[in-house]
Amino acid sequence: MIQLKHISKHYPVGFGKNAVLDDIDLTIHAGEFVSIMGPSGSGKSTLLHILGLLEEPSGGEYLFEGEPVHKMSEKKRTQLHRGSIGFVFQAYHLIDELTVYENIETPLLYKNVPSSERKSRVADVLDRFNIVAKKDLFPNQLSGGQQQLVGIARAIVAEPRVIFADEPTGNLHSDQARVIMQLFKHLNETDKITIVQVTHSEQNAAFGHRVIEIRDGKIR
Amino acid sequence: MFRNYLKIAWRNLWKSRLLTAVNILGLAVAFTASILLVLTAAREFSFDQFHDHKQQLQQLYISVHHVQGTEERSNLPMPLTPALKQEFPEVKAASRFMDASGMVRYRDKMYGSDVMGVDPDFLRMFSFPLLSGEKQQPLRSLSNVVITERMARKIFGSAEPVGQSLEMYLEGRWKTFIVSAVAEDVPDNSSLEFDMLCRFEHVPAYADQKDAWNSSTHEVFVQLSDQATAAAFERRAKTFVNKYFAEGIRNLQRDGAVPGKDGALIGLHLMPLTDIHFNSISSSGGAISRFYPYMLLLIGIFILFIACVNFMNLTIAGAFSRSREIGMRKILGAFRGQVIMQLWGEAVLVCGLALLAGMAMAYFLLPGYNALFSNRLSLNLLRQPWLLPGLFLVFVLVTLVAGGYPALMIARLNTIKVLKGSLLTGRSNRVRNVLIVTQFVISSLLICCTLIAWQQLNYLRKKPLGYSKEQVISIPVPYNVDAELALTRMRNQLSGHAGILAVTGTDINMGRGRDGSSATSIVSFDYKGREVRSHWLRVDYDYVGAMGLQLVAGRDFSRAYGTDSSALLINEKMAAQLGGMEAALGALLPVEDSAHPQQVIGIVKDFNFKSLKEEIGPLTLNINKEWPLQYIFVKVAAGNLPGYMNLVKQQWQALYPGSSTDPSFLDENTDRQYRREQRFSGIFISAAVLAIIISCMGLFAISVLIMTRRTREVGVRKVLGASVAGIVTLLSKDFVKLVLLSVMIASPVAWYIMEQWLQHYAYRIPVNIGVFLLAGAIALLVAVITVSIQSVRAALMNPVKSIRTE
Repeated sequence: MIQLKHISKHYPVGFGKNAVLDDIDLTIHAGEFVSIMGPSGSGKSTLLHILGLLEEPSGGEYLFEGEPVHKMSEKKRTQLHRGSIGFVFQAYHLIDELTVYENIETPLLYKNVPSSERKSRVADVLDRFNIVAKKDLFPNQLSGGQQQLVGIARAIVAEPRVIFADEPTGNLHSDQARVIMQLFKHLNETDKITIVQVTHSEQNAAFGHRVIEIRDGKIR
Repeated sequence: MFRNYLKIAWRNLWKSRLLTAVNILGLAVAFTASILLVLTAAREFSFDQFHDHKQQLQQLYISVHHVQGTEERSNLPMPLTPALKQEFPEVKAASRFMDASGMVRYRDKMYGSDVMGVDPDFLRMFSFPLLSGEKQQPLRSLSNVVITERMARKIFGSAEPVGQSLEMYLEGRWKTFIVSAVAEDVPDNSSLEFDMLCRFEHVPAYADQKDAWNSSTHEVFVQLSDQATAAAFERRAKTFVNKYFAEGIRNLQRDGAVPGKDGALIGLHLMPLTDIHFNSISSSGGAISRFYPYMLLLIGIFILFIACVNFMNLTIAGAFSRSREIGMRKILGAFRGQVIMQLWGEAVLVCGLALLAGMAMAYFLLPGYNALFSNRLSLNLLRQPWLLPGLFLVFVLVTLVAGGYPALMIARLNTIKVLKGSLLTGRSNRVRNVLIVTQFVISSLLICCTLIAWQQLNYLRKKPLGYSKEQVISIPVPYNVDAELALTRMRNQLSGHAGILAVTGTDINMGRGRDGSSATSIVSFDYKGREVRSHWLRVDYDYVGAMGLQLVAGRDFSRAYGTDSSALLINEKMAAQLGGMEAALGALLPVEDSAHPQQVIGIVKDFNFKSLKEEIGPLTLNINKEWPLQYIFVKVAAGNLPGYMNLVKQQWQALYPGSSTDPSFLDENTDRQYRREQRFSGIFISAAVLAIIISCMGLFAISVLIMTRRTREVGVRKVLGASVAGIVTLLSKDFVKLVLLSVMIASPVAWYIMEQWLQHYAYRIPVNIGVFLLAGAIALLVAVITVSIQSVRAALMNPVKSIRTE
């Protein structure tokens, strides 16, 4: 599903450059649950952003579902964000001005899902995550764990084939973290959603099939 | 999707209520001001546009190249129009236009009424629709009059006016006329005004002058045929002029006058009717410089721009808090276009609210605005075809400028950086600073212009005119009163009273009286083989004393000499024209004809008998009863001026019960000459105040945003021992620099503009540097106060609190 060939990424610093990723080769198959690990500054978030089409690699080749990403137009990428890719962030990044319901609804609006179907799909997800009672609350009225639940609900409501999670439990305590990770596992197993997460915790990594260790911009 | 946007927009606006309020209020006020200014300008531009044949309608004027300079005037001789119609087939219709009478009588009741003498073509040429009566040829008979609806109601009440007979006061006699038709009221934006129309044959002195080519008394309007052009007419007019003005041309040639560009000494020209409102040659025209309405439009645009800048700056500054939402939206699959549309939509929402509020305010303020600046605006002006689409266009433009730029900027931000929270704000600061500087450049410009205009106006009012204006009461003599008799009677009545120093009469008021009228009378005659031109003023005994004029040579008119009715007083300018003081004193001038020359008995010091826009010209005073008096002047002692005014009114009422007159002091009259300047400077002052207020509202909101962002820095500095004063300086410094820079940019521009404006005045103030310093000080002071409110608050905050907030 995902194929990276000789991917590198560097930023200009002064007259030289600072390499963040160096010659990364990586293949992730559909249905996998992969954890990317490594110390801070090792480049794992950058790798995730490249995988999620949020950043462009400085060199190398990236095939998403067999299609070369660097040849895609801005529009095509946005289409992928609408349909194929879901994101979960450490800081949740819910839209503060929208209620839980409206936050979850937003990706469907961009996908032009008709109103009745939208309602039923949002209701399904709310039901599944047990947050029906919270649907009219605003993000700042929720606890961190609940916010992340909403974040995940928002990520899966458009039925993506892959979810990229950037330290999804980084701001949560361990009980909440376990709930979130079990949810990911469940999504991976029953809904067959490919999951790629960045994490610091061995425990969280243990929920996945495979761990990719990254250090100083290289896979070990 | 749309509902989602609307919700977000509404919640965002509500969350930042202060900024929203500043935005909406600022824009609403700007819209109000702009709407009022545009209406004011639109009224000026709408003058005489309502005539169906406006393309073909032209006013005739004549240019004469004298030795002393070129004279252009719209007053023409009476035989010209008939000759014109005979010799120019392209003149489809032509009409003379002149005051016939000011007084009508119906069943022994008198009414002041503006009766104009016109030719029968008049109602065919101009679109003054007839409502009832004879609609084809209402002025066929010499005894017919056409009356406007308003005047008809005033005179006849609810009775049917058509067929009624009424009397008109013509050259000292009452004459009977029959109302043949009722016309719609003359629109308020018409240069030609009348209450009634009668045939031109009834105008004063018609019998004497109907064949006189050397006396110019009235205006002439023509309607050209559809194919004819003004240029072709003017070319053909050359032969016509050579034929009928032969004597005048000969005299000019003899004096050595230099022909104009077209090679002619006397030329007949046309100007489109729609231009006369902006033309000072036409007597009916408004003499309004096109500069003024364009200036008003420009000021409207300025104010709107300033409010837009506030909007932009606040949106960009607020973008910081919005950027996370926008970044997330992009990740969730929003195209950049969609994001821009969303943000622009929010701008449209805010601007729309502001526009509605602005239109409502303009609607409610219109009566007050009209009263304040003596305008006659109505919302009917909005019916002009260009105005509403124009307004809509401006609105879209405002939303594009105010909302579009920030939207584009926010949408372009790098998603990842936004979400990481490492957003660079350096570049937007530069844009912000440029915008703030622009705002204050405009504000300081308006302040400078206002100050200079105000100084000039003050100077015009205060400048000594060479005669006493504070203590002289001017009484306009009504049409139906014998002025000579009235003067004698007033002299007798008032002579016993203490405080009445002199009573005299004249035919031309000083300045503009309550009736708003002013007149100019010029004579020209040949003296020692050269043409001499002079203003001509009928006065009476004691005029020199009453007006406080200074005799520099000779003597005043005196009852002791029986021959003084043919004697003349002249001013120094006139004396210079006659070859100096010695040569002038005692000179015999053939003013009317060479058989009865009139002798110069005295020379008075030059005084400003016209407005200060003009240089003093040659002036000749006479007491010849052939020139009827129009005004009685009463010189009173200093002190109880209102008391004397009452006394004069009482005495007049005692002499002429039931006859109303409206006396005024001459200084009121001279002030009234600068009414337009006062009106415009009033608008200017309001605009300048508005501009600075709106700019400061923006500055205030920006400083609120910046202070919130720098709260932690201030806290840390305070913990490290910074004083409150130090922190206030630190926070205000940047803004002060911007405002200073603005003043420096604005000053030379203002200097240039106002120097141009001052050229309109023969007497003017020099522009001095103090004005710019003062304007700078005002702008700076207001800005510093605005910013300080926030920085002092930030500086006084408990540092522990502010550090803990993060």
